[in-house]
Amino acid sequence: MNYLWHILVMINIYAILSSSLNLVAGYTGLLSMCHAAFYGIGAYTTTLLMMQLGFGFVPAMLLAVPFTALLSLVIAVPSLRLRGDYFVLATLGFQIIVFGVLYNWVALTRGPYGIPGIPVPSVAGFEVNTVFRYFVFSGLLAAACLAIVWLLVHSPFGRLLRAVRDDEIAAAALGKNAPRVKTTAFASGAAFAAIPGALFAGYMRYIDPTSFTLMEAIFILSIVVIGGAGSFLGPIVGSAFMVLLPEVLRFLHMPDAVAANMRQIIYGLLLIVLMRMRPQGFLGEYGFK
Amino acid sequence: MLIQLLANGVVNGCMYALMALGFALIYNTTKIFHVAHGAVYTAGAYLCYVFLIQLHWPLSAALVLAVLLAALLGALIEWFVYAPLFRRDASLLVALLSSLGLYVALVNLIALLFGNETKVLRPGIEKTYHAFGVILTRIQVAQVVAAAITLPLLVLLLKATLWGKIIRAVRDNPTLAQVLGVNLGAVRLAVFAGGSALAGLAACLAALDVGMDPQVGMPALLIAAVALIVGGVGTFEGPVIGSFLLGLLQSLVVWRISARWMDAITFAILIVFLLFRPEGLAGRRRRLEETTA
Repeated sequence: MNYLWHILVMINIYAILSSSLNLVAGYTGLLSMCHAAFYGIGAYTTTLLMMQLGFGFVPAMLLAVPFTALLSLVIAVPSLRLRGDYFVLATLGFQIIVFGVLYNWVALTRGPYGIPGIPVPSVAGFEVNTVFRYFVFSGLLAAACLAIVWLLVHSPFGRLLRAVRDDEIAAAALGKNAPRVKTTAFASGAAFAAIPGALFAGYMRYIDPTSFTLMEAIFILSIVVIGGAGSFLGPIVGSAFMVLLPEVLRFLHMPDAVAANMRQIIYGLLLIVLMRMRPQGFLGEYGFK
Repeated sequence: MLIQLLANGVVNGCMYALMALGFALIYNTTKIFHVAHGAVYTAGAYLCYVFLIQLHWPLSAALVLAVLLAALLGALIEWFVYAPLFRRDASLLVALLSSLGLYVALVNLIALLFGNETKVLRPGIEKTYHAFGVILTRIQVAQVVAAAITLPLLVLLLKATLWGKIIRAVRDNPTLAQVLGVNLGAVRLAVFAGGSALAGLAACLAALDVGMDPQVGMPALLIAAVALIVGGVGTFEGPVIGSFLLGLLQSLVVWRISARWMDAITFAILIVFLLFRPEGLAGRRRRLEETTA
């Protein structure tokens, strides 16, 4: 049974993570390649606050959220002046710099050794110490986050994001401050990415920089694109699909080592086929025009 | 010590320049951010491994065939992946996403076939040459010689021949070039084949020196992209200049700071250039009406 709960925990984590990227990539049309950096900053900030300063899980997570948003401005403010490929490349550069810092700033992050022994999250005296409890806990957090995302994208602000995405000049002509809208979207996406980061750290109880690489950033982006950029359900469906894919391969009696590569081959090919046939993904409405 | 590091910087610069010029050939002409170029690089190295180690062919034959097959792979990618998108007038972001998918699929296919561990092409200690207080291995000398022949020849080809003129015409305005009778599809295929051949050559030469694993392509691609931006997008001498600059700069980083911070510093330089001099060192600012993409 734990196996099932484990898979559902991972789906919860990726659903929040990819929905947060969807705010940036799907609704605002900014192809950001540094979302794993924000995921990692969230995980490390939560962990360090808990282990170095004795914070509880929830306060640590709630502090990691604005901190990640603040750090995201470091790259958002300069790179949002760039267009197309250059924006992609600037965010990719930021991703590699953040990985370099996590990996090399050994005094703070223990670098490649990672941080073991992260305490079990406890909420109001209730220990989240079994996989089932973690499923309920992450499910509640996911529901809360997704509800906020739903409200956000169905608010006038959400409409503004799509307006800037579809025609920035027209939006500006109507008096909308497009750079500020994009910056806000980028920072909100980063803020939401801190929550799955915290959840991941509390669940695995060990983090190291290899969970937050460029390939992970590409993976998160693929979830959004395959599920459907710019649709609320798209990233959720995408997360379920991508988390379940290796499990399905396992049921086909594929050895684990082969299954790991097979899963990546399948998602790579899927990305190519979708871009050819249906660039808006399974459920999406935005096709990176 | 410093002279040796600078010499290593130049050797690395030669290798970066081969990869960067190949990437620039494709990027400047088609405007596609060809991430899968990194996978072509990886494939080139593994092809060399197959011919040299598994089939026991002589080095020269292995090298030539690996480069040719890398060129073929590049052309196939254009034929089956990018050309259909181009015909449908899909955006460049769609091409970029396809390229990411292609990179992931190809690299994992290679990992599936050959395993994830590092493979070495030439075990043992290489013969070394000493000159002016600098020690270089035989492979490093071969790398410099290969770059010294290939790079000037290609830049000359692009500057001074009709083929070069056609490629530059497509770079500046593909629609107008087509109106004047240029076969756009053929030019695109040619730049993909040529660029991929360069990636294959760089990959084989690097693999002979330090071996390979399935992930080698991504860092090579990223450095090529940074070298192109630093040197100047749209130019063909820019990426070469940028490569040598990066090679030397990385040597200085190794000398003054630590090799571990090399990647982070390389990309910090990229971001500084994107912000303050996006046209690069050799590029010039274009007026809005000159840009077509």
